[in-house]
Amino acid sequence: MAYNKYRYGPPALKSSVDMQLQSAFSDGNWSTVVRLAAKRFATFKDPYYEAIKVSTEAQLQGTAEKCAVLVHVDELVKSKKTPDIDTLDLFEWACQDFIGYEIEFAETFGPLRARWVKANANSPMAVSCLQGCLEQWDLVSAQQIAATLDKTHANSADRRYMFWNITLTFLLSISPQCTEASRKVYSLLTVRQLQKAADITESSEKLEKTDKGLLTEEEVCLYYRVLLGHGTKEEFLTRLKSPKLGAIGQLKQGHKLLFCECLDALETWGEWDTIYELCRDALKLGLDGSTTPFFVCDLRIWKKFVAAATEATNADAALDEVQNVLKQFIELKDKATPMYKKNISLALLETTFRLPSTTINPNHENKALSPKVIQIGLFLDEYYERFAAFDDVKGYVAELGYEEAKTFLEDVLPNIPGENPTKAQQIIITALECRLRYTLTTCPQTLSPHPTVVEGTDQGKPFKCRVCSNLAKSPCEDCLKKLIIDAANAYSQVAADKELLAAIPKLDRDPRLDLALVMGNSLLKLSGLRPKLPNFAQSLWQDVQPEVLLQAVLLLDTQLRVTPNDNGLRLMLVQLYLLFGCASYAHQLWVPLDVKRTIQDALSPLFFDRISSISPGLFQGTRPLMEPLRAYYSQSLRDPSPVRIWDAFSSGSYTSVLDMAEYDKKLRTSCTLVMTLVEERRAARLFVGKLDIDIDDHILATDIVEDTTLVHKTDYGSFPNLESANGPPIQDFIRLGPGPSNERSHLSFLAEQYLDLLSYTPPKDYKPSKAAEAAARDKAYNLETLIRINTSLTDFLHKPPTPKLLTPPETNYYTALSLLSALVLTAISLPKSEASVPTIVSQTTQSLKTTLTTLRTGLLSPRSTASVSTEQTISSLCDMPAFSSVRDIALGTKLSAAFVLACHERETARDKSGRSGLHKGVVMEMKALESAAAKTLADARAHVGVLKGVMNESGWLDRLLDVVLGEEDKEADELTDKVSDVVDGRAGAEEWAGKVVESWREGVKGWGMVRFE
Amino acid sequence: MANFRRFRPDDLNKLSKCNLDPLTETYELSFYLQYYAKWPSLFQVAEDENGNIIGYIMGKLESSPDVYKFSEHYLPWHAHITAVTVAPEARRLGIGKLLTEQLEAAGDAGNAWFIDLFVRKTNHKAIKFYESMGYSIFRVVKEYYGDHSTDPTQNSEDAYDMRKPLKRDVKKEHIRTDGEKHEVDPTDVW
Ligand SMILES: CC(C)(COP(=O)(O)OP(=O)(O)OC[C@H]1O[C@@H](n2cnc3c(N)ncnc32)[C@H](O)[C@@H]1OP(=O)(O)O)[C@@H](O)C(=O)NCCC(=O)NCCS
Repeated sequence: MAYNKYRYGPPALKSSVDMQLQSAFSDGNWSTVVRLAAKRFATFKDPYYEAIKVSTEAQLQGTAEKCAVLVHVDELVKSKKTPDIDTLDLFEWACQDFIGYEIEFAETFGPLRARWVKANANSPMAVSCLQGCLEQWDLVSAQQIAATLDKTHANSADRRYMFWNITLTFLLSISPQCTEASRKVYSLLTVRQLQKAADITESSEKLEKTDKGLLTEEEVCLYYRVLLGHGTKEEFLTRLKSPKLGAIGQLKQGHKLLFCECLDALETWGEWDTIYELCRDALKLGLDGSTTPFFVCDLRIWKKFVAAATEATNADAALDEVQNVLKQFIELKDKATPMYKKNISLALLETTFRLPSTTINPNHENKALSPKVIQIGLFLDEYYERFAAFDDVKGYVAELGYEEAKTFLEDVLPNIPGENPTKAQQIIITALECRLRYTLTTCPQTLSPHPTVVEGTDQGKPFKCRVCSNLAKSPCEDCLKKLIIDAANAYSQVAADKELLAAIPKLDRDPRLDLALVMGNSLLKLSGLRPKLPNFAQSLWQDVQPEVLLQAVLLLDTQLRVTPNDNGLRLMLVQLYLLFGCASYAHQLWVPLDVKRTIQDALSPLFFDRISSISPGLFQGTRPLMEPLRAYYSQSLRDPSPVRIWDAFSSGSYTSVLDMAEYDKKLRTSCTLVMTLVEERRAARLFVGKLDIDIDDHILATDIVEDTTLVHKTDYGSFPNLESANGPPIQDFIRLGPGPSNERSHLSFLAEQYLDLLSYTPPKDYKPSKAAEAAARDKAYNLETLIRINTSLTDFLHKPPTPKLLTPPETNYYTALSLLSALVLTAISLPKSEASVPTIVSQTTQSLKTTLTTLRTGLLSPRSTASVSTEQTISSLCDMPAFSSVRDIALGTKLSAAFVLACHERETARDKSGRSGLHKGVVMEMKALESAAAKTLADARAHVGVLKGVMNESGWLDRLLDVVLGEEDKEADELTDKVSDVVDGRAGAEEWAGKVVESWREGVKGWGMVRFE
Repeated sequence: MANFRRFRPDDLNKLSKCNLDPLTETYELSFYLQYYAKWPSLFQVAEDENGNIIGYIMGKLESSPDVYKFSEHYLPWHAHITAVTVAPEARRLGIGKLLTEQLEAAGDAGNAWFIDLFVRKTNHKAIKFYESMGYSIFRVVKEYYGDHSTDPTQNSEDAYDMRKPLKRDVKKEHIRTDGEKHEVDPTDVW
């Protein structure tokens, strides 16, 4: 990777250099510089001129001298002498393109700079040497420089030297750059140094800047971070309670960071008593005026406080104290900003739910109108009209017992807006009620177990629904249907009421959006859509009722036109359209979200994951589809060091240094990064077949090896999630398959590596002089690579969580590649002299041929064009990822066979004696495999042709609308009628149907451009 | 529903509730990290129960670069609001105000003269928000933004440079009552 420091040009030459040479150098007149520098060197014998010469030669393209500088650097390193700093600068500039390839910074310039600093520790240049090493992420040299600086400036008022040293020693101790032998020493060293500093702080009355104690918030927090890494729990706990450096002491100084950070550590240790005491004391600081009143009045703190009290050694007394503190805050409530007022109200709710029921309801009076129900009611009295009301109470309502929930919905909620509610208030309550009813359908307390076999036949309904008393599955379909009808009625009521429509813009949230979400989600559930379990069917269509699923999409899409700014709804629709194979339309919906720059890492998988297998045509646009994503990574990961790391060092932000290093590590190993590389390559291969570079050689893949844990951080935070915590969240239902994972990312990466190996062809003019030796080398390389890829593919496929992390087509594809790589390995290593081919070869080829045959039967054949039904077509359009895997498997098979046969041909051509070449049996098996793959590919191409033909037929708008809303002259069921009302009937749905059909056509057109050979 | 704490880099993976809103700009990674590196305590977030960021403020304490010392536009030691945003679902609860007040307090603690910011002339909500907290227009920066937030036919938009005096400015020397009449070019602000 190019070195940051010289990105903007060469270093300045020493001022002693004459004007003529200076100006040639600054003009970039490299050949003149070389000539002049050589002359000066001859005259003055000053090696600096020679350094100018060789460094400048490195700028001249295509000369043999380009690399001469490397020899000079090597000599410098070996000489053990203190180098000249200007020479170092020149050499480093000259070597910028070699660093990371021909030479490693940590073995050359890093140690040289450390050596220079040792001899010149007082020079102002020493700090830039530190910066230089840091920016190359050479922690060993940086630590050495920092240690030298610390020692030299022991009496300086600049505290940073000491903390640079400590921070770097710590960073090194947790880095792979540290040798195992030094790790322990460095760990101990950092703890000791900080302990000493902490003791100085504790024992001095007032700390001066020159004292080597812990003074700033950053210094204190660094100490605790190091303790967590390398210290003992006891020391952590003791220090946490100390008056000056403890969490409470720090809060008194206005420092909240330590308090926030320590709670997680305490929780993992189960230190509930300490958590309880800290939360209590911290909250009381606000009450007694030691801090501003609401300094720590966060919901998280309240929740921890209550949870810790229930776990505390003396839980009764602790819970009393919680209520006591809470009471005092409630008294302050009127002075609080709305935010804290709300936090206090939520804290009250939380406390009510966490206290033992004997405490809050000692006499067991009215179980249904319990204190829990009353508290939710009181909370909503204040907040029901607010945007977040549903999210605020959802979790609590889901915890209510059945009777409580019933009372809440029937007696409490309707009365919240008071005696004379406005129409708007009424509709807000209805929308809230519908959403909560939906959530309750996902809660086990609304169902009671019921024998599913009645009179010898299995009803398939193992529950009795407590809400509607019908026999039910989970969720209860009758309740969902009723919800749709109620929500649709309310929706239509709004649509028809001018007064209400006029009131909507003034509301926090459009109630129509919530009603639509209830209807949409209920329809999705009724359609049978479920999270993708490993055993889910190949085809989406076999699992669901298509018309109901399409109704959900139609309804939600209609709502998006009413509330286009709702990002949650938009994201949900993007997922649904991808599920449906309407990728170009999903893209149209995605673009206005303007996901760019930094947020791409977390949000891009929502659109781009698996995109090449859904709709390759998208990659044929004028601008490369994933360019912004690739550009983001190239920009953010350009340097070996974390972005802006020196800023954090020079500002004394030590916890920032640690967090930025951690963040950088995760970004370099992000699943989204792998997705970017893989999807682009897959798409390129679909059209051109061959790629310029191997995935391994991609600059962004530097940090990815088999044992790297790849990190996924997809942000689903904006999805409107009506589900309760008892089941999976909404994204698990509507996503095409399991989300990004370490396992899937590795498998996709390995698949690319395998294809790279198969596609390698030596350059045309490559004619090695010792052909036999070169061939042996190539073979050894191929075998080694195949073993590695095959072992890793098999390992990842067999990891216990993997089946849950792949779609069935993905499992098929990676399994096929694992078989193929094993087969190729055996095929090219089997001695020709062997009597027969091992059975494993014929078994594997047989199994692959069977797979190919099975896959072919799922394809549409040209003979069937005339009779392809609407359902069959839509089903195929939705199943493009499965279709894509058919092509991938067939092509992988073909390439594998071709690879083996090419080996055979090369060998026989090289050595005409008849002794070389592969085993006859192997060659035969490969030929058979190749032709089976070719057949499948031909059928796959035909499948696209059939789809194209069918989609070009006229009347698709009506065909789709017939599926979704029923045929025009036939009577529809009640649900369809309701959906139809909301979307303004068939006429209203036409525009939508047009977009869907158009998008399908575009998708098929894209597949039409794909290569099938 | 909210917790207030210092920003940490992982929060960048949880920004969708704030940053998918069109009035909130998304920057390159180095921009966020520059603030986190140099002024970590001035980068504060509000988070919801699920760890989603529902509001944040990014700020700094600085003077204009020394080379501008003798320019009439030189700014002495002051606090600056680089970005403040609250997710639509959490607006009008005082979160924006709390975040801003924290930065003002840091400005006072750092002995700054005033606190300032740039806002699009058409971002009426934000202008009302700042005015409600005592900020006023100090000058108009012509064509500060390279696009227009409401009118796609225009390729630039003016900014208001708004200010609020901090405790150090006892005599209120750093604010104006007729700021709207003082126009400057983008090259005059740093
Ligand atoms: C501007 C913004 C940050 C305000 O955040 P907020 O948390 O909703 O604001 P607060 O609740 O703290 O409001 C404080 C006061 O500001 C004023 N205010 C806030 N939003 C307002 C609005 N939309 N209209 C009128 N006044 C408003 C009010 O006086 C309010 O006090 P009140 O609610 O007691 O009447 C938020 O609307 C936002 O994120 N907008 C998009 C991003 C943006 O424009 N950022 C500013 C770029 S410079």
